[in-house]
Amino acid sequence: MYSDAVSEISEATVLSVRTNGRQTCVFDTWKDWHPSNISHHSKLCCEIARQWITSTDFSCRAGGDVLAGPRWLRNTFKWGGTTYPIYWCDAVRKHNLDCGTLAALAHEVFTMRGVKSFRAQFVQRFSRLATESWRHSWKSSGASMQWVNGALIYHEGCGVEIRTGEIKVWDASAGWWIDPRPGDGYGALLALRLSAPSGTPDLTWGDHAIRPNTWQNIA
Amino acid sequence: MKDLTIYVSGLYSGTNPQPGVGISRSLRQGFPGAKIIGVEYSNRCSGIHWQDFDDIWLQRPWDELDLDAHAREIKKVLDSGAYWISSIDLEIMWLADRLPEGHRNLLAPSMSALLKVGKPAIPAHDGLPVKIPTFVTTELSDWELHAFCREHDWKVWLKGPYYEAVRTPTWGDLQHYRQVLTSAWNTEKLFLQSHVTGYEESVMLCAYRGELIDAVQMRKRDLTELNKTWAGDSSPVPDELLTPLRKIIRDLNWTGGAELEMVRDAADQRWLLEWNPRFPAWVHGATITGNNLPALLIEAASGVRAATVLPEAVEFTRVVLEIPVLPEFPLSPLPEPLGGAIGHSMKHPSGLLQFAQRLTTPITHSNGNGSNGNGTTQRSELNPIPETFIYDLNRVDVENLQTPASIFFESTAAGYFRNAAKLAADLTRPELKVSGAYSIKTNPDERLIRLALESGFFAEAISLLEVKKALAVGFRPDQVILNGPAKWWRRETLPDAEFYSVFCDSIEELERVSAEVASGGMRTRFLGVRLRTPAIASRFGIPIDTPEVFERLVNAVGKLSRETKFGVHFHMASSRVGVQHWWHLYESMLRWCGSIEALTGRLVEVLDIGGGWFPEDIGRNNAARYRRAVAMIPEFLSGVRQVISEPGKALAQPSMALAMQILEIRPAGVGGYSEVIMDGSIAELPMCFYYPHRILAKDDTSGDWHALGRGKTMLLGRLCMEHDIVASNVELPKAAREGDILVFCDAGAYDRSMSYVFGCG
Repeated sequence: MYSDAVSEISEATVLSVRTNGRQTCVFDTWKDWHPSNISHHSKLCCEIARQWITSTDFSCRAGGDVLAGPRWLRNTFKWGGTTYPIYWCDAVRKHNLDCGTLAALAHEVFTMRGVKSFRAQFVQRFSRLATESWRHSWKSSGASMQWVNGALIYHEGCGVEIRTGEIKVWDASAGWWIDPRPGDGYGALLALRLSAPSGTPDLTWGDHAIRPNTWQNIA
Repeated sequence: MKDLTIYVSGLYSGTNPQPGVGISRSLRQGFPGAKIIGVEYSNRCSGIHWQDFDDIWLQRPWDELDLDAHAREIKKVLDSGAYWISSIDLEIMWLADRLPEGHRNLLAPSMSALLKVGKPAIPAHDGLPVKIPTFVTTELSDWELHAFCREHDWKVWLKGPYYEAVRTPTWGDLQHYRQVLTSAWNTEKLFLQSHVTGYEESVMLCAYRGELIDAVQMRKRDLTELNKTWAGDSSPVPDELLTPLRKIIRDLNWTGGAELEMVRDAADQRWLLEWNPRFPAWVHGATITGNNLPALLIEAASGVRAATVLPEAVEFTRVVLEIPVLPEFPLSPLPEPLGGAIGHSMKHPSGLLQFAQRLTTPITHSNGNGSNGNGTTQRSELNPIPETFIYDLNRVDVENLQTPASIFFESTAAGYFRNAAKLAADLTRPELKVSGAYSIKTNPDERLIRLALESGFFAEAISLLEVKKALAVGFRPDQVILNGPAKWWRRETLPDAEFYSVFCDSIEELERVSAEVASGGMRTRFLGVRLRTPAIASRFGIPIDTPEVFERLVNAVGKLSRETKFGVHFHMASSRVGVQHWWHLYESMLRWCGSIEALTGRLVEVLDIGGGWFPEDIGRNNAARYRRAVAMIPEFLSGVRQVISEPGKALAQPSMALAMQILEIRPAGVGGYSEVIMDGSIAELPMCFYYPHRILAKDDTSGDWHALGRGKTMLLGRLCMEHDIVASNVELPKAAREGDILVFCDAGAYDRSMSYVFGCG
């Protein structure tokens, strides 16, 4: 959740909504966070790991379309706490990876397939019971719990271009495509930010117009 | 409103339910005062107890029902002004047959409309942005059905004429379930359809006299074990689908409900699996989301306005409910389990299977005819019996063979080797030599090994005893490739000479052999590895499915002496994993090789690829795929100078046949099935479990050899072994008698090399 190897902290553009006269930005807590990053030792150890991921992805795709979600990643790595910085050679040997590392791996995989992929950051609502459970289960990992704020959580995934200007959003931790329909219940996606090179025009996700590099409410 | 009477049939409510209960719930919302009468054909269908029915019209099961009387009763009901919504496909078809002119109150499609939406071709789909998954009728020969399964990686469904679909991932499964479905539905008119991976979604619609009243799209969000809807969400049907659908409904003059079952693949393409001529079982789920189609259908037919009910949600799900049993329909006792059986055999309590057999409408629509633009019904490119088989067979005095006897098809074998050598020569370029290799284990017959030698092939051996045999036939050691996990067995026979190539099956073996080569204890022009790429079940090669093993492999290859030329071997039986999957694995292997090159700085200089091919699979379209495979090597690997192709059984399998004699013909029994005892057995034809063999019989009058078609005869081997069945479902010539010879073709590969002596004293 917390990004390593980020030398510059840039302030993200924030879109906010007014509800009952109060400014509410569910993403306020995380608005300056960058997508998580897997570091490279610039040595053979990390390059072996990277090659292993991309070659395994081709094998596991079993002839399927390049737009098929790489669910094998989640079958290979359980979801759990990750401490940063994390290097390629470490990541592939971990039993547990957090959403940021899984999303970074998925992004790498989509990109190597020739698919345009954008890192995506989310805010989701669960329940205090759920987030307390995660606090408990992550305790032993030593990983940061700053991704939890009450019933809200920070999460990461990928936006994948399926047609020019149109994306699907892959949740690499869950192994599914996130439904673009707005929702407000347990697990609902409340806000999203898509990282894209500057100058990238707005993208369409379902009925949403997504402005790159900008946090925006979805629900 | 008081006079509105609606009959709803199909109340089965198990885990694969009929929609009758859901329709009644929706109708009750739309027409609270209507009289809704549930129609069922078994008191075991629990929907008869549902609270929304004002009355239950419980008929006797279909197998004992007087269909003429029942048709008259329904006509009377319709004439009285009541409406009839059927939820049973077979009942819909039967009613369309009995009421060919239709009836204004029968809310079901006509026979002509039904014929145009019959699966799998669904001819009416033209104009919709959908594709039909490829299919074939099971009336084709077994040889062609096996080819279809291979082509589709054995991801195929065997489907019944009306209901039921079974995955058949092996030839044994296909044979078994074909027998089950054929017996159940009393027809050979089944079909095989390729699987489409993706997300299931449906469109439900209702129409009256050709006018589309409403439609709604539903995506399955949770599934039962049978992939039936358990939860879903609804949304409007997109214009790209709705506009052509409206026209199709008009063209079909459709009346009633319908469901288009589709799969959306990863590339966003919709595939149409079925067009059901009725509302789906999730019909009330759509009503919950504000789309009460049964009520709209009644409104259109009756002119009575349905009550408007606001949507409760955009998603729906199911729960299991216990409800009171109506005292007038108390539960029946469970039937006694059959002796030794597990369970009570409760399937189809209303006798639908027997009803299907009583239908007078032929199942012509089920398989369709001709191409529908996306699907196919014929595989005309396959010639079931090659002419060379007959040529070779006519040169053998079959009648005087001591059966069971293996027959060598000399000209056939020579032809296959010649073609393979020619293909290799065609593909050879100055910078890339392509050669064949003969896998000795496939059939160590000297005649085949000699043909390989004469055709310029390498000899591929998995043991030093096979090396010895190759050398005895005339191969030089530097024409021999060593492979497999136990190639050093009988080490004392290792020749003191240089091999062409050695491919190691483990990293440990690579390190060991590499050390021996470096010390001069062994000589080989190429030293390499066999790769086991991830996501495939195999016991051979180095499993690079973990980063740890991959790193060890990279390190081991990196340590190879610079004088040692490196190579990679890849082998998978395409007949087992499927043809398309094999090509994927091949490309996957090239990518892994590219990674190894990039990480070690060592070039792959020899690439040895084995396929376990059926002859047709590698040779189709002038071996187009194989040519493309060779052409793509430089895209991934710049250093490959030698490609070695091991077609394996593609060469050996057609080169021999097995002649068997009929020992006894037993009279036909139940259902016309008969048994014939042969003097051959699974000991001589061990591969009969894995693929069909083309069987030839001689016509006494003309002297010509003819292939046996499919029929109701089982050819039993001579062994006292329950599973000694060498062929099922064949049609014996009418004039066949004891002493006649049947020739099982395609027996030249592992049938020969893995045959064993059994029951011969």
